[in-house]
Amino acid sequence: MILLDRWFEGMTRGLARRSGRRSFLARLGLGLVGGAAVPLLPVARAAQDPARAGAAPENIDGPAGDPQDCEYWRYCAIDGLLCSCCGGSHTSCPPGTEMAPVTWVGTCRNPADGKDYIISYNDCCGKTFCGRCFCNRNEGERPAYHWYRNNDINWCYGTKSQIYHCSVAVVLGVAVEGQPEK
Amino acid sequence: MRAELRRLLLAVWCVSLIGAPAVAEVSPRHDYVLHCSGCHRADGTGAPDDIPSLIGIDRFLRSPEGRAYLIRAPGVAQAPVSDERLAALMNWVVVEFGADAPSPGYTAVEVGVWRARPLRDPTELRARLLASDAPSDEPR
Ligand code: HEC
Repeated sequence: MILLDRWFEGMTRGLARRSGRRSFLARLGLGLVGGAAVPLLPVARAAQDPARAGAAPENIDGPAGDPQDCEYWRYCAIDGLLCSCCGGSHTSCPPGTEMAPVTWVGTCRNPADGKDYIISYNDCCGKTFCGRCFCNRNEGERPAYHWYRNNDINWCYGTKSQIYHCSVAVVLGVAVEGQPEK
Repeated sequence: MRAELRRLLLAVWCVSLIGAPAVAEVSPRHDYVLHCSGCHRADGTGAPDDIPSLIGIDRFLRSPEGRAYLIRAPGVAQAPVSDERLAALMNWVVVEFGADAPSPGYTAVEVGVWRARPLRDPTELRARLLASDAPSDEPR
C-alpha cells in the first residue's frame, strides 16, 4: 500500500504540475457536473454529429471549385490521380474499380464558408494507374510512421485487388476544428 | 505478471473508482470519424484480415490487462487528442460497438497512464487476450 500511495502521489503531483491547481479544480468540478450532464449528451451529440451535418457548399469560383482541378478545396492532402479525370467523379469510382472501404481521413477548409470538413481519401482499386490528373498537395499529410495521416501508402485495403487506379475525396461531415497536424 | 504492472493496474483501478468518467466538449462520434473511421470504418466493422472489427469490443474488458489493451492499442494510444477526449471517445466506442459500457468508465487519468506505455507487440498481446479471459503475464 505504501508503494501504491507513493505512486498515487506521484501521479497526482504530475497532474497538478501539468495543469495547475485551478484547472485541476475546474476539471474536478467539470467531472462532478459531468455526471449530471450525461443525460443531456445525446442532444449535444446530435448538434455536433458530423454524419448529420449539412452538405458542404460548393459554390466556389475558379480552380478551388473544380473537382477536375488539383486546386479543388477537398484535395488539400491528396496524393494520387483524380478519379474525376478517370471516368469517375470526386466522390465515385470509375466503372470496373472498387472503392477501398479502408482509407485515411483528414480535414480541409472550404473557402465557401470557411469551415473545416472531414474528408476521406478513398482509393479506387482493381485497374492499373489511371495516369491522368496527378495531384500531390499533402497539406497536413505526415510521414509513414504517422500512418493514419499518410498518403504514400497504397490504401487499397479491404478490396479484392490491391492495384491502385485513382482517388476520391468524400466529405464525411463538418469538423469541430482542423485536424491537429495543421 | 511483473509487480510494477500489477501495481499500476491496481492503482488505475482505484483511481477510476474516484474520477468521474470523462465528458468531452467535442462529440466522441466526431473524433471517431476523423481519427478512427478511416481504418475501422464508420460502422466499426473494419476489413477482414487487415483491420479488426470493433463489434463486441467489450469482450476485452473482462480482464484488467484487456481493459488497458483497449487504450494501449497503437491507433488508440497515438490518436492526436487529449487524454480527456480519448477517454470520452473510448467510453463511446465500447458502448457503440459493444454491449456493455466500461464499468467504471475510462477517465482521463487512466487513459494518460496507459497511452504512455507503448506496446512492443500489440498483435501478440491481442492473441493472448483473446485466447484466454484470465489475466496473464505481460512481457515487456
Ligand atoms: C491505420 C489504421 C488504424 C487506425 C487509424 C486506427 N486503428 Fe484501431 N486497430 C488497427 C489495427 C490494425 C488493429 C489490430 C492490432 C493488432 O492486431 O495488433 C487495431 C486495434 C484496435 C483496437 C483493439 C481491438 C482488437 O480487436 O484488437 C481498438 C479498440 C481500436 N483499434 C480502436 C481504434 C480507435 C478508437 C481508433 C481511433 C482513435 C483507431 N483504432 C484507429 C488499425 C487502426
